[in-house]
Amino acid sequence: MGDALKAQEVGTLRPDGNVGTRTKRYGGLERASGAQKYAADLDFPEALQVAIVTIPVGCADILGVDTSEAEAMPGVVGVLTAADLPSPMPRFGVSHKDRPVMADGRVNFYGEPVAAVAALTQEQADAAARAVTVDYRELPGVYTLDAALAPDAHLVQDPSDPTKRAGDPLRETNVIEEQTIAWGDLTEQEAKAALVVEDSYSYPMMTQFPIEPLAVIAEPTDAGGLTVYTPVQHPYLMQRIVAGLIGKTLTQVHVIAPDPGGGFGGKQIPKYEPLMAFLALKLDRTVRLTLNLAETTTAIRRAGAKVHARTGFSAEGDILFHHVVIDYQIGAYADVAPRVMTKGSYVGGGPYRLPACRIEARAVLTNTPVSTAMRGYGAPQISWATESQITDGARRLGLDPARVRLRNLVDNGEEFVQGEFAGKADGEWKEAVVKAMELAGWDDPLPPNRGRGIAVGIKSSATSGLSQSLVRLLYDGSAIVYAGTSDMGQGARTIWAQTVADELGVPVGKVQVISGDTDLVPFDLQTSASRSTVFMGTAVLRACRDVRRQVREMYAERVGADPGDIDDEPGALLTPEGAVTLDEAARIGLGALRGEVLGQGTCRLEGRKGHPLGGDASFYEFNCTISEVELDRGTGQYVITRHVSVSDVGTELNPIQVVAQEEGGAIMGLGQADMEQLVFDEHGRLLNASAIDYRVPTYKDVPLELLTGSVENHDGPGPYGSKGMSEGPILCTGAALGAAVTAAAGVKVTDLPLTAERIWRATRAAAEGAIA
Amino acid sequence: MVTYYKAHAVADALEVLGRTDVEAKALLGGTDLLVGLGDRLDSAPGVVVDLKGLADGEPLAVTESGVRIGLTVTMADLLADPTVSTWYPALAQAAGEVGSVAIRNRATLVGNICNASPACDTAPALLVHGAQVRIASAAGERVVPISEFFVGPRATTCARDELVTAVELPRPVPGTGSAFQRLTRRWGVDLATVSVAAAVHGDGRIQLGLGAVAPTPLLVDVPAGTDLTDRAALDPVLDEVLAVATPISDIRAGADYRAAMVRELAARTLRAALDSTRRTQA
Ligand SMILES: Cc1cc2nc3c(=O)[nH]c(=O)nc-3n(C[C@H](O)[C@H](O)[C@H](O)COP(=O)(O)OP(=O)(O)OC[C@H]3O[C@@H](n4cnc5c(N)ncnc54)[C@H](O)[C@@H]3O)c2cc1C
Repeated sequence: MGDALKAQEVGTLRPDGNVGTRTKRYGGLERASGAQKYAADLDFPEALQVAIVTIPVGCADILGVDTSEAEAMPGVVGVLTAADLPSPMPRFGVSHKDRPVMADGRVNFYGEPVAAVAALTQEQADAAARAVTVDYRELPGVYTLDAALAPDAHLVQDPSDPTKRAGDPLRETNVIEEQTIAWGDLTEQEAKAALVVEDSYSYPMMTQFPIEPLAVIAEPTDAGGLTVYTPVQHPYLMQRIVAGLIGKTLTQVHVIAPDPGGGFGGKQIPKYEPLMAFLALKLDRTVRLTLNLAETTTAIRRAGAKVHARTGFSAEGDILFHHVVIDYQIGAYADVAPRVMTKGSYVGGGPYRLPACRIEARAVLTNTPVSTAMRGYGAPQISWATESQITDGARRLGLDPARVRLRNLVDNGEEFVQGEFAGKADGEWKEAVVKAMELAGWDDPLPPNRGRGIAVGIKSSATSGLSQSLVRLLYDGSAIVYAGTSDMGQGARTIWAQTVADELGVPVGKVQVISGDTDLVPFDLQTSASRSTVFMGTAVLRACRDVRRQVREMYAERVGADPGDIDDEPGALLTPEGAVTLDEAARIGLGALRGEVLGQGTCRLEGRKGHPLGGDASFYEFNCTISEVELDRGTGQYVITRHVSVSDVGTELNPIQVVAQEEGGAIMGLGQADMEQLVFDEHGRLLNASAIDYRVPTYKDVPLELLTGSVENHDGPGPYGSKGMSEGPILCTGAALGAAVTAAAGVKVTDLPLTAERIWRATRAAAEGAIA
Repeated sequence: MVTYYKAHAVADALEVLGRTDVEAKALLGGTDLLVGLGDRLDSAPGVVVDLKGLADGEPLAVTESGVRIGLTVTMADLLADPTVSTWYPALAQAAGEVGSVAIRNRATLVGNICNASPACDTAPALLVHGAQVRIASAAGERVVPISEFFVGPRATTCARDELVTAVELPRPVPGTGSAFQRLTRRWGVDLATVSVAAAVHGDGRIQLGLGAVAPTPLLVDVPAGTDLTDRAALDPVLDEVLAVATPISDIRAGADYRAAMVRELAARTLRAALDSTRRTQA
């Protein structure tokens, strides 16, 4: 990232500025009052309502689809089946283009669309969808990693299909991609080890659980194109994919992305939009699909994983080697999911100084819904194992697990991944551990039945990407910033408003932020990987500086000065006669015709060929988490009495938003550690899609005390030395909570979630073992 | 499509429920009924008969012989009533566990038992409190002990064309104590994995009400005189009386965990019930 952004360019905080203060959330009042319009609130009086036809199994050959009865039902305007689509079936995907617009002769996961019905009302569409008869033959689908990796396993993707796996050496297996990261000599290190910890871990499939379910409206335009309304994190990628599928130019596909009501990665790949595009074009009508919570839970998920790890320690607590074998369960189509494996496993050794390390990772296809990005992107799965290993090692050596981590953590600039594509620490990470220990009262004694656990997490951020921004300084001194970042609750709009306010000297209330519309707003890759503050933030900063440069030149010309004699600083021009505020200088420069000053900013980071991540990380997110629980030995239930999360954020651009992200991430991480999991039956059906049985934390489940902190050394590549920080608090939550439970219960649980029942079972097994 | 019908009297409601040409369902707070209908109402029964506006619906009334809980009485109403919490701590504790504040403001006691989930939270308490259920039909009224009210998962003796109008609780014998506890997968808003109510009656009887461990809530007797303070002695007694429980394995828990937990909660609630008698005596 260093090249992409020169150090002198990132700027320093203005003492009297907005950046660095608890500026109120842009659009916060609307969100709190309910005035904010989410996709489902948009009114399309003429739209047809859509219902998706699915079958109640996860893997089957489709023998026939009979729509005649449905088509004759009241209110039904049309039905779309695979027969209406071009042949071969159009497919899409971000890195693997393997996902069909709808099931292509075979259903490969539960919920895969077989047909879509459009009717005047939702009730009519639902009734007609039930009247579509799908004749199918169930196949012995693979729904677990074990089943998918068995020697004679059913192959999720046909090895002979030229559109998918032809030429792929792994095509006779369900492994779609694999990656090994290795350095040092494991055997040599093992010979020196005083202790080797070996264990197997599992991490369940989960859903992102955005409170706003998925919704899509596709509207044909007079020009033969489409307007697609969909609350996503990737409007430009969506535009490219839809345009490609229907053979239109980018100008003919207009994507409007209302601010998502939560995304967490689940709204980062197209799902139903391609189908809705074909349906709208077939019927030449506006069509609308609004999913409910259970349907959304079925449609989006994070990859589960199984891990086997061996870790060697010296008697003093040095980690000598770490060997991990991890399989990620990615689903029926690859799309972008194998990248979750490559990125997650790259940091699988943890932020440690390891003489030898070997991470063998595979992305495995199963007949389960397609997995995708989720907060943490592959890192929580592997950190659950790696950090539990470190805790176990410390415990067995009788060493303090926090100090074992401090002992092995890399220093700033030191490599934690060695070899050709090395990864180096880009922050003072030990400071986060020390701060977390202080906040948690790490060395204070605990009452009986309490336990404390610590873990650290690391994740590489974006390794390439492009963000573009426009900033308009208007004649009256107000400003508009165009930034394609999706504000899905993280508060991106607030940060752009603060930045523009400070750089141009405009009151923050006079800055308007426009986003979520591909016709109005210039390109942004997507809102992912905690990249926006760094990438879009830099683009906005540059657009502001472009405005200032233009004002300086216009002003100089107008007053007849040499531009070289005029300097600028945030909010002002510095002339030999003294400082002139930027808006005043702009008015003088613009003159009698008025008008406005239009600035442009771009932030681009190219990838690096051959790098397992596609390039060097623009920055790393580092977090230290400490959890404390009180255990009920009789039931296995526990209360999280205290939880501490500290991240290296570079610079807090808005402390209240930093705390909100830290707390939100911690609570989400705890939910994923102690209760969340998707459960499929032997036919691949999701058993717990409803809010009754897919558990997420409520306010009664949050820690009694939730403390957050950040490390600020102004050493990030983003504006004012910032780093992205929204994923840090979820990276190692599972391992910290698991360690706390182990400390309280005296037993180790290796499977998530850490339910009361699991703890009770482990305790009972240990007691029986002790008796036997 | 669903038709909404607001009944103005019990007889009026019974008439609609008795129609044979269309399926009718009674509606109170709707926290079970509407969730069951889902967010798309096309597959729903023909008529929903709202009972909240019955002119002859009974309120919560304290009488010489006990407490009468009319059909519109909510969990929040029960929690706010000092007689209920003094005489029937197990019921008050169970009502306080149901859902969330918002749910308790709508959820009725009558709706809770009529829904007849095996995990219904108030049932174990009503069992140990010796509740009687009043059921009205076109033919008149009958009274059924709560121990005979539940006949299976989501099934009661209240027929399609009948209505539960009230639940009556006898006034406890002086010196009675009771308690309720449940196990859930998370602390906020959840359905019970296992629930237990215990009563130590002033006349020496000791009873347990069990939820989520059989097709219906169960009532079991613990031998009078059992020492509830000695866990080692209590456990074998519990193993015997709890043998009627037939917990299943499902998405919420394994059968063996449920079996172990019903014993654990039984021991705890018995102890708490005993302690609450001491409090009333003091
Ligand atoms: C988020 C949430 C959390 C919940 N948590 C809990 C919990 O912790 N514990 C628990 O036990 N329950 C829980 N429930 C279930 C529900 O809230 C309770 O069962 C509640 O008491 C039902 O009462 P109601 O007034 O809402 O009944 P309704 O939904 O109106 O009716 C329930 C059923 O009884 C029938 N019925 C209603 N009145 C009569 C009558 N007079 N005669 C005959 N039949 C009748 C209805 O037709 C329906 O089948 C929860 C529900 C939700 C949505």
